[in-house]
Amino acid sequence: MSAESCTVRLTGLRKNYRVGEASVEALKGVSLDVLSGEMVALTGPSGSGKSTLLNLCGLIDTPDAGSRELGGTVIDKLDEIALTRLRREKVGFIFQGFNLVPVMTVYDNVEYPLLLLGVAAAERRQLTLTALQQVGLEDYALRLPDALSGGQRQRVAIARALVKSPALVIADEPTANLDSTTARQIVDLLHELAHERNASVVVATHDERMSSHCDRVLHLIDGELQ
Amino acid sequence: MKWLMFAWKNVMRNSRRSLTAMLITALGTAAVLGSGGFALFTYESLEEMTARDTGHVVVANARGFEGDEDVPLQHGLAGSPALAAKFAALPGVRAVAPRVQFSGLISNGDKSAVFVGSGVVPEIDFRLRGPQMNFISGQPPASNSPAPEVVIGNELARLMKAKVGSSLTLLATTTEGNLNAVDVLVSGIASVGVPEIDKRLVLADLASVQKLLLSDKVGTLSIYLKETADTEAIATRVREMQPELAVKTWRDLAVFYQAVRALYDRIFGILGVIMICIVLFAMSNTLGMAVVERTREIGTLRAIGTLPAEIVRNFVLEGMLIGGAGTVAGMLLAGVATVFLLFAGIEMPPPPGRSAGYPLLLSFSPPLYGAVTLVVIVLAACAAWLVSSRAANKPVTEALAHV
Ligand SMILES: Nc1ncnc2c1ncn2[C@@H]1O[C@H](COP(=O)(O)OP(=O)(O)OP(=O)(O)O)[C@@H](O)[C@H]1O
Ligand SMILES: [Mg+2]
Repeated sequence: MSAESCTVRLTGLRKNYRVGEASVEALKGVSLDVLSGEMVALTGPSGSGKSTLLNLCGLIDTPDAGSRELGGTVIDKLDEIALTRLRREKVGFIFQGFNLVPVMTVYDNVEYPLLLLGVAAAERRQLTLTALQQVGLEDYALRLPDALSGGQRQRVAIARALVKSPALVIADEPTANLDSTTARQIVDLLHELAHERNASVVVATHDERMSSHCDRVLHLIDGELQ
Repeated sequence: MKWLMFAWKNVMRNSRRSLTAMLITALGTAAVLGSGGFALFTYESLEEMTARDTGHVVVANARGFEGDEDVPLQHGLAGSPALAAKFAALPGVRAVAPRVQFSGLISNGDKSAVFVGSGVVPEIDFRLRGPQMNFISGQPPASNSPAPEVVIGNELARLMKAKVGSSLTLLATTTEGNLNAVDVLVSGIASVGVPEIDKRLVLADLASVQKLLLSDKVGTLSIYLKETADTEAIATRVREMQPELAVKTWRDLAVFYQAVRALYDRIFGILGVIMICIVLFAMSNTLGMAVVERTREIGTLRAIGTLPAEIVRNFVLEGMLIGGAGTVAGMLLAGVATVFLLFAGIEMPPPPGRSAGYPLLLSFSPPLYGAVTLVVIVLAACAAWLVSSRAANKPVTEALAHV
């Protein structure tokens, strides 16, 4: 498999957590390639290491061993500043708890990543409005997140993750806080938009319906891919 | 602009807490501006008072300021009229007043008392002293009346049981070391507001004093300027013109001014430091709570690509907004107080050793306002930086896990 068609390449990732005297092996040498535009579901029992793997994949945590490549670039030696800049350009996040900024309007939340990237005002506006339309929230642009339902908030989060057309989207249990109908809509939306923008998505989930929508389903048990 | 707006929204997120910090900052600012304004007003009043008393620049014989003369005017200035004319011609000089300090005994025939007197040119001197010399009755001495005239202090008048028109005798040592006496008429009774001085004050016409002391020298030439700010420049100029003479400025001679200034600088300096601490504390407290509450949000923003420095910058902006709003309110408060006192006519009690109070006024000093604003905003920024940089540099996963 060539590096170009591959968004993420993880090789032999290990991660241990120290809890007092004891050490927990959260990942025991995980290797994984995610193709560009591919949506991968990560399933497994609680405590199996899904979040740990997603954090490493999304560059917000560092492995104890193993190597990571993003878009064909080895990132093992990058410092926190460089990793942050890489996340800014290439990685979108969707959280279980939505994690919107409560004092910012829906519009401002979605626009924020473009502001970080220094996109010019006119283009920013256009991209933001497009993203809001795609998640069907253009009429809610000036509302505050508190005035939205859970499903609507997660749609704002999807718009925020996708507005910059990232190479990679990390979603850790994005539907766990939602009822099943809403969850279904969110899964469809994420799938559709990621495809449209050719973003790779790695989503951790317990939800069977969610994984059935994905291009590939991976099973993680006790820190090892099955 | 966007960032400023976000900062403002974040400030208003817990508006009660932010308003408290603003209020504390406002009160601190107002206190510093108010007390600073009061100190400045006091300095200005004392400057004016001292300068009116001694003149802005005082010229004497090389040893004239040493105060170790064996006989009066031993170190006096000769040829003073020519010197006075020369100084009077300098640009910015309002007038030059020759003076002779002398002392001796004053007597009403029944009892006598020590006096400390000045021989002055009445037409020049009394005009320059202005409100400093408060006439209780009578008028300045005439300079060429057949019988020499004097103005005496109100306390001395009480001691001598003298009124305007009373006749008294001055007894003094001449430049030759002999005793000499002269009968004088009281033309006026005045007060300079310091009982210790009013108890001994005698102001006489210069020519009469020179006759009493048997000399045509003067003790000092007091140069009065149009602008107090020119003092140093003129003093330097005079030193260049007459390097053989001793030249002092009112500042050198203003013992009381120096003492008050040293005291006030210290008091208000300490007050300023206390205010700085309070503002710093209020600010760190408010922003520190905000940082803790928003740790998860910091994690989110970090995850989606915000640099630690950018997180810190946002908090610094918030701090500067709180500090800025606080100082603006404080400046308004101080401004209102300044204007209010201008019309309220509140009197301060007399300073130590004085018999009259003075109006409670605050000086409005743009540099002071500017400096205080700058200090508060810088403090707020520092506090914000201090309390947010740790959270901003926390590992992202740790910040995200914060509840
Ligand atoms: N910060 C941490 N400190 C200590 N141990 C941790 C930490 N994070 C995770 N672990 C441990 O690492 C292992 C994997 O955790 P992880 O959160 O990745 O599992 P998960 O698959 O996401 O579980 P869940 O489905 O409950 O979210 C678990 O045993 C967990 O207790
Ligand atoms: Mg998890």
